Amino acid sequence: MAELRTEEMLLNVGPQHPSTHGVLRVVIKLDGEIIREATPVIGYLHRGTEKLSEDLQYQQIIPYFDRLDYISAMLNNHAIVNAVEKAMDIEIPERAEYLRVIVGELNRTAAHLLFVGAYLLDLGAMSPFLYVFMTRERIIELLNEISGARLTYNYMRVGGVKYDAPPGWFAKIREFIPYFKEMYQLFDDLITGNEIFISRVKGIGSYGQEEAINYGLSGIPLRSTGFKWDLRKNKSYSVYDRFDFEIPVGTNGDNYDRYYLHLLEMEQSMRIVEQAIDSIPEGPVMGKAPKILRIPAGEYYAAVEGAKGELGVYIVSDGKDKPYRMKIRRPSFVNLQIIPSLLKDQNIADFIAILGSIDIVLGEVDA
Amino acid sequence: MTEESKETTVKPSAETAVNTETQPKEEQPDPKKEAAQKVLDRIRGLIVQELGDHVLEDALLMKHQPTFVVKRDHWLQTVQLLRHHDALGFDYPEAMAGTDYPANGYIEVILYVYSMNHNELIAVKTRTPRDNAELQSLSYVYQGLNWEEREIYDLVGVKFTGHPDLRRIMMPEDYEGHPLRKDFSVWKE
Repeated sequence: MAELRTEEMLLNVGPQHPSTHGVLRVVIKLDGEIIREATPVIGYLHRGTEKLSEDLQYQQIIPYFDRLDYISAMLNNHAIVNAVEKAMDIEIPERAEYLRVIVGELNRTAAHLLFVGAYLLDLGAMSPFLYVFMTRERIIELLNEISGARLTYNYMRVGGVKYDAPPGWFAKIREFIPYFKEMYQLFDDLITGNEIFISRVKGIGSYGQEEAINYGLSGIPLRSTGFKWDLRKNKSYSVYDRFDFEIPVGTNGDNYDRYYLHLLEMEQSMRIVEQAIDSIPEGPVMGKAPKILRIPAGEYYAAVEGAKGELGVYIVSDGKDKPYRMKIRRPSFVNLQIIPSLLKDQNIADFIAILGSIDIVLGEVDA
Repeated sequence: MTEESKETTVKPSAETAVNTETQPKEEQPDPKKEAAQKVLDRIRGLIVQELGDHVLEDALLMKHQPTFVVKRDHWLQTVQLLRHHDALGFDYPEAMAGTDYPANGYIEVILYVYSMNHNELIAVKTRTPRDNAELQSLSYVYQGLNWEEREIYDLVGVKFTGHPDLRRIMMPEDYEGHPLRKDFSVWKE
């Protein structure tokens, strides 16, 4: 038989592609069905948040942070207010700390729910997405009630939070928790043991601990390798040290571990919320912060555990009311870097499964 | 507009306000500061012992953060030592940023590295002249700095020598200028 003539094929995915979770573009070199090289191209959603911040007062920057990882805006809020408060040594009222933790963990749960739904949708399962949205909708309603917005909350302020919980809000969370547990069980039964799902994710897209640390990964992509690293425990901030919760870790660092950690983390987040609404103290929600915030000249870095990993803010201040330079350490941006090495020599059919499991949001990648 | 600019120029009042806040702390020794000072001294000692006195320009505490200012020519060498020396082991690149200081004529690049074994976070930084800004690339020491360096190259305009793939990352490839430089005008005519 005559030799078949073969050549590499260049495949362009995105930026307008339903499975790239936004405007990510990946240029793939294919040899048959095997990926030889994958190059992510980003920047399609670059809005220059860091440059814009240089012209804004600190309280004015908060809404811009909403729009980074736009499905977990509460945690982004927490990152910026936490960084400014640490730099200025501002103490905030207890009740505000508790409210931050409650809305933050609710939002983390919503973000992880969306991941589970979208990931399964990527792999071709439509129905989990609908169940997930039913559950997520309840959380969004709760956050809407306390902040007045469904997605970009702009809820936290340097010195506390904008609004106290409306009457009956905690009772609504108490009603929601059993519903969540029921749905959680349903997801676990529907998805985790599913033979087709497992064959698409188990043992695929795996990497080791050392590689993950060298890449600077954080959040679930790092914990999936078995490395216990969560800023809520390791560099505890806010009042997280008062709650009893676990940091679930994986073993193989593969797609399956990353999927399952999202589920387990939701359970832990709900544990924190449960404890927090039981022990929340009375009092004001806004402390004594100066009207115009001036961070003393110097350089500061502080980070929180966002939905995707370590969300850090580096501030250079020259003593004015606006940052001289602000750099945002975006976990999605850092985590996405491992994609080329993960995709090398993989089957094209696994491309979406691997990309989806890293869990990126393009608003955060591009800032 | 005028009100705003007035407010930003009233610097002394802000400073005095800060002083009154920090005063009670200065009276008694701050345990956080002392611990940070210890880390600073230990690591400075190791760097000087291994590489000599000349690689460091300065070692200071920024608030409670041990910070080392490294001379430009020894940037890669120092970071390699921090990464590979057993007693240091700074294996986790946390954050990297470049800042333009036109008044001083240099661009500063800062890197936060964390040691998972010793649970220590330090900052190392170095300075490069604004014209022909150039630094040795650290992307082979920490793979995670590959994109961070591309971003600094793109937005701040520092060339990293030895970088495997130094291209713009946020702005289009044919874009001119570096948006995060202070002399970059947003209102281009």
